[in-house]
Amino acid sequence: MTHRTRAAKILAASSASALVGLGAFVAPAQAADDAELSVLHGVPGLTVDVWVNGERTLDDFEPGDLAGPLTLPAGTYSVAITAADAEDASAPAIGPVDLPLEAGMSYTAAAHLDAAGEPTATLFTNDTSTTAAGEGRLTVRHVAAAPAVDVLAGDQAVVTNLSNPDEQVLDLPAGTVSAAVAATGTTEPVLGPVDVTVAEGVSTIAYAWGSLEDGTLALATQTIDGLHSAPAGVPAGEVGLADTGSSTSTGLWAGVSAALLAVAAATIVAVRRRGVTVGSRES
Amino acid sequence: MHDAHLGGPLDTAGPVRAPHPGSTAGPVGHVRGGRTGHDTPFLRRRLTAPVVAVALLLVGCSGGDPVPTDAATATADTPTPSPSSTDAAPSEPAAAGLPASALEGIEVRSADEQPAPAPPAPAVLTVASVDISMDVVPVGVADDGTMAIPETALDAGWYQHGPAPASPAGTTVLAAHVDTRTEGLGPFARLVDVAVGADVTVVDGAGTVHRYTVSTVERVSKEEVPLADVFDRAGAQRLVLVTCGGNFDRSTGHYVDNVIVTAVPAG
Repeated sequence: MTHRTRAAKILAASSASALVGLGAFVAPAQAADDAELSVLHGVPGLTVDVWVNGERTLDDFEPGDLAGPLTLPAGTYSVAITAADAEDASAPAIGPVDLPLEAGMSYTAAAHLDAAGEPTATLFTNDTSTTAAGEGRLTVRHVAAAPAVDVLAGDQAVVTNLSNPDEQVLDLPAGTVSAAVAATGTTEPVLGPVDVTVAEGVSTIAYAWGSLEDGTLALATQTIDGLHSAPAGVPAGEVGLADTGSSTSTGLWAGVSAALLAVAAATIVAVRRRGVTVGSRES
Repeated sequence: MHDAHLGGPLDTAGPVRAPHPGSTAGPVGHVRGGRTGHDTPFLRRRLTAPVVAVALLLVGCSGGDPVPTDAATATADTPTPSPSSTDAAPSEPAAAGLPASALEGIEVRSADEQPAPAPPAPAVLTVASVDISMDVVPVGVADDGTMAIPETALDAGWYQHGPAPASPAGTTVLAAHVDTRTEGLGPFARLVDVAVGADVTVVDGAGTVHRYTVSTVERVSKEEVPLADVFDRAGAQRLVLVTCGGNFDRSTGHYVDNVIVTAVPAG
């Protein structure tokens, strides 16, 4: 918010504490030149170590766990994954491979099974754009060894024909969604129903992971908050009885005594003068 | 070391493609409705060792060569602390290019986050000096994106998406109509008469009494109201009481100003 607030009329104020002068202090989630990286382990039955630029960064990383977010200067990071007891990353199970992370962006790297059940991984970019007042964001990511799915909210499919490793992003009114995952075109849940909170100003990222065949399908969730925006205003009056001056008076005031009209006229002049003064204080 | 395969919606040329200078410099694309990597047999390469291979697919294009690091093959002398600890862990010497701060206390948790329990909602507002004693009801956002206001001027609405008095940070916003067609002037018509230093009390649903002291009373043109400040969630704890005031524009049916009373927790 810019400092147009000096146009406000201060009716009363203690020293240096005017609301209009108080900038909102919001701790930045990341510096302008940093990226954020979270890591999701969605491969059932494997405990691994994750190495970044040759440094063991995640130790004994268990399936179903979420690590981070790590705040990293933008750049490309070399990532390798080893068995949990590897002594170093010189002979990784896979990699090293390069993750290009851009400044100001938020990412989740997910290790998961592909549709055929083979271990793989996907780098997702998280949508951290501002949400509308009263809304939250729900992102659904299919990272399970399973065919295409629909996501049902209550009885209604809100996501259809989502395949591994795709995602869909929905901005929704804040509330609780009874969410279930079913094979696309069907309504018999293979996962859920489970209550998913869509919190206002929060991005809730739901991952369907595991294996349908092995009976290890599960739901993992990640949240990113601080995306809210303020309402567009506070319209708190209907009639005009608290009007400080009747600059736009019409026949409604007919019948008011002449004395009152004279007072009103004087008030109009005073209010308008104050209005001009206030306006000129704008920076 | 094989070139990283960068699959994604842009990947139509085939399974293996080296990073090339012509790659898009845009943000790494996340997959929306596209398919990646399923037709790339090289990713299914598996070691014969018992360790199961985990291939890393990259979505989008790298803009160029990997960032050169001196310590691409550096080995850590000792493993980093257990990731199950969420406290700040002692930092290991960082490999070049990876800041030590990034390694400290990386939080690892089961990905089944439940929302934190919400603080109790405000229930009763009292500003004794101007004879205000009102019930508080939670409100959200109206269809037009503005804050919803209780229909009766006798109730104050609490913006339920923002902080409550018991929240550790941010501004609790309470608003009420200054007047309504059926009731005439309401209690908030007296907000303009509140003095700096006046006491304000909010009792929440848990029965906790929160005391505040008024710091400012302002009438601000609605076009100038710093809404992001008023509805701040992360800064100092405050209580803000809002209503309408100033001139009433009969052509629009709205007041042109907001009256805003700010109060800070009583010391």
